Amino acid sequence: MTKPTQTKTGPAKTGMIDFRGVNKWFGALNVLKDITLSVEPREVVVVCGPSGSGKSTLIRCINGLETIKDGDLVVDGQRVGDPATNMTQLRTEIGFVFQSFNLYPHKTALENVTLAPVHVRKIPRAEAEKAGRELLAKVGLADKVNAYPAQLSGGQQQRVAIARCLGMRPKIMLFDEPTSALDPEMISEVLDVMVAVAEEGMTMMVVTHEMGFARKVAQRVVFMDAGAIVESGTPDEFFSHPKTDRSRAFLSKILRH
Amino acid sequence: MIWQQFLSLAGSYPLALRGLGMTVVLSLISLVLGTLLGFGLGILRTGGNRLISSVIGAWVDLIRGTPFLVQIFLIFFILPEFGIELDAFTAGIIALTNLAACFICEIVAAGIRSVPTGQVEAALASGLSRWQRMRQVVLPQAMRIVLPPLVGQYVLLIKDSSVVSAIGLTDLTRVGWLVVQRVPNGLLVFFLVGVGYFIVCYPLIMLARRLERRMGAAHGEVQL
Repeated sequence: MTKPTQTKTGPAKTGMIDFRGVNKWFGALNVLKDITLSVEPREVVVVCGPSGSGKSTLIRCINGLETIKDGDLVVDGQRVGDPATNMTQLRTEIGFVFQSFNLYPHKTALENVTLAPVHVRKIPRAEAEKAGRELLAKVGLADKVNAYPAQLSGGQQQRVAIARCLGMRPKIMLFDEPTSALDPEMISEVLDVMVAVAEEGMTMMVVTHEMGFARKVAQRVVFMDAGAIVESGTPDEFFSHPKTDRSRAFLSKILRH
Repeated sequence: MIWQQFLSLAGSYPLALRGLGMTVVLSLISLVLGTLLGFGLGILRTGGNRLISSVIGAWVDLIRGTPFLVQIFLIFFILPEFGIELDAFTAGIIALTNLAACFICEIVAAGIRSVPTGQVEAALASGLSRWQRMRQVVLPQAMRIVLPPLVGQYVLLIKDSSVVSAIGLTDLTRVGWLVVQRVPNGLLVFFLVGVGYFIVCYPLIMLARRLERRMGAAHGEVQL
C-alpha cells in the first residue's frame, strides 16, 4: 500500500510529528477534521489541496501558531498545548517559513539570521555571526549579508527566511506555501535551497503545489480537502494514480498548464 | 509710555527666567516620567490580558475626557482631604505625568497595533520570549509610527503645563500674571510669555516634522 511509515504507527512508536484525531474549529467551521498523521524523522511530507482545505492551519498547529480543540498532537515527544510543555522551547526546534517571508524589516539579512541564535540560544554574537554568514552563503546570498529586506527580491528574502530558520539548528522545518508569493522566475532558487535542506536529512512538512519539488524529495504526499486528509501516498502513486475523485479533480486543475 | 513699560519689564527678567526654568523643569521631568509610564501602559494595553487592557483604557478615557485644570485641582485640593498632602510642585508633576502617560499610552498602543501580525508570528516561531519579541521585533517597528506624534504630543504637553500656574507654581504663565499687576499692559506681557513657550516648543515642532519625513522615506533602516 503506502509507505511502511504510515502503517507501522503503533502506540509504542511515535513519529517526529504525530497528529492523533486532531480537530479544530473556527467558530462553527470544522477546519481540521479528525486528522491522524505521523511524520517520521528525516521524512519529507508535502501537503497539498485546494485553498481553504486546512493545509496551512494543519502545519501552523505544529508550532502552536494555532491551537487545537481536541485530539493529540505530539511533536518531538512533547504534547502541543499541554500546560506542561514549554512551547517557547519547543518552537526553537521547529523552523517555520512563511508565505510572506516575514523578515524583520529593520534588521539586515545577517541580523535576521542571528537574532534568535543570540537571544534565544545564547550563542556568543561573534560565533552566531560566523554561522550566519555561512548559512547565507549556503543559500547563495554571501554578498547580501548587510542588505535590508526591502533591498532584496522576493526570492532572496525567502532564502534569508530559510537561513533564519536553519540558524536555530531545528529538528523540523515547516514551510507554508513558501513560493506562492514569488514571481515565477524566483521560484526555482527557493526550491533549490529547500531541496538541499531536504537532502541533508531534515524532517520537513511542506505546504506547496510545486509538484516537481514533491516528486524530487518528498517521501509522501498528503492531499487535504475541506479540513480532512483525503488521500496520502508516495508522490508517484499520488500523481500517477490518484485514488479519489477529489484528488483527480484537484490534479487536473493544477497540472493543466 | 510703551518705552517705560518696556524698561520696567526688562527689570523683571530674572523672574521671567525663573518662570521659564520652572516650565522647562516641570515639562522635562513629567515628559520623561510620562514617556516611561506611557510606554509601559501602551505595552500592557496591547498585551493579552483583557482586564488590564480595559482598566487602562477606562483610565485613559477618563483623563482624556476631563479638563486638565480639573485634574490638577483634584490632586492638589481634594487629595489632602484624604490625608495626602502634596506640595504644588509634586502635585504638578503628578498631574502632568499622568496626562502625558495617558496620551502617550494611546500613541504607543496604536504603533504596536500597526506592526503586522506576521512579524509577531515570525518572532514567536523562532522561540523569542514575550519581552524579546517586544524589544527586538515589535517596538523598533512601532517606533516608526510612534515617534512623530510622540514629539508632537510633547509640544502639547509643554503648553498644557501652563495650567499648573493655577495651583500657585511660578511657571512662565504665572510670571505673566505677576508682572501684569505691575506693568498694566496685558497684550505686551502675554505676548512675551507666548514667545517664551514658542522658544521651548519650536525646536520640538521642527524635530517632529523632520522625523515625519524621515520615517516616511525610510525602508526599515530606522536608526533609533
